[in-house]
Amino acid sequence: MSDKIEEKAPAAAGGAYRAPQGEPAPSIVKLRGVRKTFWRGKESVSVLDALNLDVPEGGFQALMGPSGSGKSTLLNLIAGLDRPTAGTIEVAGKDLTALSDSGLAKWRSQTIGFIFQAYNLMPVLTALQNVELPLLLTKLGSAERRKRAETALRIVGLEERVHHFPRQLSGGQEQRVAIARAIVNDPKIIVADEPTGDLDRKSADDILTLLEKLNKEFKKTIFMVTHDPHAAERATLTYRLDKGALL
Amino acid sequence: MSVSLPGLAARNLLRNKFRTVLTVIGVAVAILAFVLLRTVLAQWTAAADYAAKDRIVTRNKVTFIMPLPRKYIDDVKNIPGITGATWCNWFGAKDPKNEHDFFGTLGCDHKSIFTVYSDATITPEERDRWYADKKGAIIGDLLAKRHGWKVGDTVTLTGTIFPGDWQFTIDGIYQPHSKALDRSTFFFRWDYMNDSIPERARDNIGWITARVDNPTRTADISAQIDKIFDDREVQTLSASERVFNTSFLAGISAILSALDIVSIVILGIMMLILGNTIAMGVRERTKEYGTLRAIGFLPGHLVFLVMAEAAFVGVVGGLLGLAISYPIIEKGLGRFLEENMGQFFPFFAIPPMVAVAALGLAILLAMTASLPPALRAFRLDIVSSLRRVG
Repeated sequence: MSDKIEEKAPAAAGGAYRAPQGEPAPSIVKLRGVRKTFWRGKESVSVLDALNLDVPEGGFQALMGPSGSGKSTLLNLIAGLDRPTAGTIEVAGKDLTALSDSGLAKWRSQTIGFIFQAYNLMPVLTALQNVELPLLLTKLGSAERRKRAETALRIVGLEERVHHFPRQLSGGQEQRVAIARAIVNDPKIIVADEPTGDLDRKSADDILTLLEKLNKEFKKTIFMVTHDPHAAERATLTYRLDKGALL
Repeated sequence: MSVSLPGLAARNLLRNKFRTVLTVIGVAVAILAFVLLRTVLAQWTAAADYAAKDRIVTRNKVTFIMPLPRKYIDDVKNIPGITGATWCNWFGAKDPKNEHDFFGTLGCDHKSIFTVYSDATITPEERDRWYADKKGAIIGDLLAKRHGWKVGDTVTLTGTIFPGDWQFTIDGIYQPHSKALDRSTFFFRWDYMNDSIPERARDNIGWITARVDNPTRTADISAQIDKIFDDREVQTLSASERVFNTSFLAGISAILSALDIVSIVILGIMMLILGNTIAMGVRERTKEYGTLRAIGFLPGHLVFLVMAEAAFVGVVGGLLGLAISYPIIEKGLGRFLEENMGQFFPFFAIPPMVAVAALGLAILLAMTASLPPALRAFRLDIVSSLRRVG
């Protein structure tokens, strides 16, 4: 692990990140006493245990940890895909634990952009249609949806590939389409689960550069789970999770 | 092209074209079988449905095969409200050159038969010829075509009820004006038959058909007829032609019920085929559905996608089924049945209601079949589905 990442490591669980200037950055994610337990038959497995976390707005955060440490579970909780067994989660000013399932779905569609390791594009849709998909949940007309999807694809450098199907794209290009889909509804936070996990080094670097651009130029808060130290190096802040606790 | 949920559902169907095509063909074949069976059921009863409303049939009260005295016809004719009456005997003859070909041979009163049965007509020339020719016969066009018989031909039939060789001359070909009328009947003169059989069997008739001036009075007049013969040696049973025709169906009601059940079973099989295809698709797309849920789509959206997919298969399969049903049933099988089994299927065509029901049921059952996979999509756990490999 590089010194840079070590320097930027947040305070222990419950500690708030402070910008170098000493100004306290507003937290976009606040976890308090979050516990997540899964049941394997009659046996309970505690994945996250009384976790407190403050994620500063506008940062590019990486979350690292060994397999089974609870990284993806934490990401899912922050993204509103799962609910905690106990504790509260506030993201972008909303208490997620108080939202209904449909309320949570609506919140996700407006607040979160998702990037998955395996891209998770719809193989039957073109790049443009895949990017347009989240906009079906808005009241925008088809022309406006198309315009926004084209803009998102331009941002990720795929304006020449709008009518290509995922099978006609390389892995790196597919992930760019997925990133365009993640940003098309202008979310406050982008959550990325191993976004470079399926890519070669060069493509992975390109994706990380794109994420940096989204963070710096478009002021998107990025929360990325990764196993890859190179990917974590590109983040402005790295959290480490082990056995359900932040180190 | 802009994306939409119905568009996504349609595209999902084309993902595994081979499976979708097989399923659509399965639905189409099921619809063909359903339409065929329902058409058989509908047309089997068509003779009853199309029966003239102003005709009454009187037969022996004991059974149809027992005769009535010839003299009863005069009593029937005298009942107020009856405008005409005729009689016939079932003769049961066969063409010795083609014994397996069944057609109705009826010995009827030549002077009144085409007056009471005005839905079949002959030309004045044919009528005059028949009146003058005791051995004359008037036959249906399909029977003539099948046997290659022409007006003027001498035909020899073998009697089954009245044994021996019976010679006839074809005097004319009747033209049917009702869908229910068998186009393969062989009408000949009752007096020829009556004068040729042993004396002890003479002056008996099979049944009387009477025409009434007011169709709403058929029940009343039927009762009057039977009342007249209550105290005679042979009692009668009279009813409207429709009831008379329907009574023939009672004997085959078990077959009709079986066809009814089979047609429903076929739809059940169709539903299972379709449900399996949709369920496979949903299983394969679990991760994609998880992704859709993650980016904000609701369980209802997934249900829509699954059910729309099923509805597409139902519509396409149903339309294809109907598209192949018409030529197969109406042009092929229907024509064959009309020509060869005209006494059972004088008119064999798909009733419009059967076609509408088939298409409606294809869509409805397709959507019903998609309910279990739709429910599965509705209950999808986002995190588990995203973790799913493949």
